Amino acid sequence: MHQVADQIVNGITLGMLYILVALGLNIILGLMGVINFSHGAFFMLGAYVAYTLAPHVGFFPSLIFAAAIIGAFGMLFEVLLVRPLYRRPPEYTLLLTYGTALIFEQVVRRIWGDDAVRYPLPDWLAGTFTFAGYAFPVYRDVFLVAVTIAILAIVWLIINKTNVGVIIRAGTRDAEMVRILGINMPLMFMLVFGLGSFLAGLAGALAAPVYAIIPNLADQWIVLTFVIVIVGGIGSFWGAIVGGLTIGILSSLMELVYPPAVELTGFIIMGLVLLVRPRGLFGVEGLFE
Amino acid sequence: MIARLGSIALGIALLPLLMPDGSFDLYPFVGARLPLHAGFVDLATTILIFGLFALGFNILFGHTGELSFGHAMFFALGAYATALYSKGFDATVGPVHLQFLGSGNAFFALLAALAAVAVWAWLLGRLIVPRSSGIYYSMITLAFAQVIYFIAFRWSDLTGGEDGLQAIARPAVPGLPAGWLDDSNHFYIAAALVTFVAVVLNYCIVFSNFGSVLRAIRENKQRARFLGYDVNKYRVNAFVLSALFPALAGWMWTYFQQAINPDAGSIDYSGRVVMMSLLGGINTFAGPMLGAFVYWDLQNRFARFDRYWPEIIGLVFVFFVLVAPRGIAGLIAALRRPSRRAVEQAEA
Repeated sequence: MHQVADQIVNGITLGMLYILVALGLNIILGLMGVINFSHGAFFMLGAYVAYTLAPHVGFFPSLIFAAAIIGAFGMLFEVLLVRPLYRRPPEYTLLLTYGTALIFEQVVRRIWGDDAVRYPLPDWLAGTFTFAGYAFPVYRDVFLVAVTIAILAIVWLIINKTNVGVIIRAGTRDAEMVRILGINMPLMFMLVFGLGSFLAGLAGALAAPVYAIIPNLADQWIVLTFVIVIVGGIGSFWGAIVGGLTIGILSSLMELVYPPAVELTGFIIMGLVLLVRPRGLFGVEGLFE
Repeated sequence: MIARLGSIALGIALLPLLMPDGSFDLYPFVGARLPLHAGFVDLATTILIFGLFALGFNILFGHTGELSFGHAMFFALGAYATALYSKGFDATVGPVHLQFLGSGNAFFALLAALAAVAVWAWLLGRLIVPRSSGIYYSMITLAFAQVIYFIAFRWSDLTGGEDGLQAIARPAVPGLPAGWLDDSNHFYIAAALVTFVAVVLNYCIVFSNFGSVLRAIRENKQRARFLGYDVNKYRVNAFVLSALFPALAGWMWTYFQQAINPDAGSIDYSGRVVMMSLLGGINTFAGPMLGAFVYWDLQNRFARFDRYWPEIIGLVFVFFVLVAPRGIAGLIAALRRPSRRAVEQAEA
């Protein structure tokens, strides 16, 4: 029983990171209809940037700076590389961002080396927190989860309660129409790409102290992110949340049931969801048909 | 047809002579290279195998307009089927004990590889084709490729796990002395023959009525449907056919490397074949084979002094996606075609 509870808590922590990364990819995909294959690389870069900044600016500011730097980098990336491809089928953006993901991985190896880097937590986050007889690591199970929930609430408010959010939601349905109504869509695309990259960078920075930071982190995460988006439904806020948590928790529980199949859990869920609901749990009809 | 296939045959025959020795020469005086270094011949064999892999992939990407980002799964499945057939296996799944002693018969290994891939591709095609298209299709194929990768990686009893399977003997060729294929040159000759037969088959598929329907689907799915074609059936068939060529390539790869590990099914391999096809040119028949040559040539040049060589391939690829999405074959075609200005001047 203790083990099961432990794995569920682990799964929630992992699920929080999945949600952040998948939500970032999903917002971009929903509004712009393109996939950023380098999204996993942005996650990884977030981890490395936070690792580099932490000794200079302190732990908490390093999280914010890393996310902001990756967000700004995402906007630049969109303007310089993704924008020229809007006239072409969306496959070309996938190809382009695959190429850039290759480059980013090598750049990371060049700068930070091939081996995993260590990222010590500050004392106030390194301890444990005892509740109902269980000892929870403060950082993983309290701080990380709380930060994620706060960020998700902010993103929800942006999407649902601001003018920018109205444009994003309308653009997800019909970007062409929104453009005709006089909205500056290139600016919106840049901002949304920045927001998505910000979330990936933040997830990377949050993950850095818990998971090993290695140069092939990007590949592992991009596939999981795809799986979560497929399970949750393209362009859906709640889809990313439910998909991320489900896969996080179930793959952690698989650790108890049959360890060799841990990595396969997400794919099994994806196969089942595709059979029953091809658009994903929260997918919208008509998108990407 | 004769001209196209003939030039491919000529290309395959001359390929070992064109291998770079790492300097930035432009392949002059190829005759002076004889006799060939075994390393060059092995590189040529690699190019053939990946060229065939890319040619199969292009049935989907170039001709049907669907980007599969998981084609390495078929390559790996074909390669593992071959390896397991050659080496035998001994694994227990719950109450079932699987055992096979292994056989050196390459022909049956090929049948096993093709059968395994055909069944998996058909099941997968039936699952994903009606449910997805466009980039959604790419995401799903990539995700399912990871299933094969993780099975190869985790099912150590059967697949040897991370280390894979080693010491796979090359098969005997009837009528030739035992161990004939162990020589690099001999293996190249055999691989060239197999590849050429497969190229002819691919040509027959791509330029048949079936291939024309695929291009109609690429151009406009709805219109193809209105013309009475069962679009999804064609898409599933194209998926299975395009999976069989990587299976054949995987079969050769196992015997060529005499070892196989899960990397063969990784995103890296899936991505490589996508890059090769685009670099060579997806809108021409032989473009993907040309792309395989360019890819391995670049790798061979840069890997010896730059350990971060994928960066350079990434840069070249990004350049082509942005500037020349029709690849090298497209650039050549653009050079041969008179420019628009020249045409306007001639008309005036």
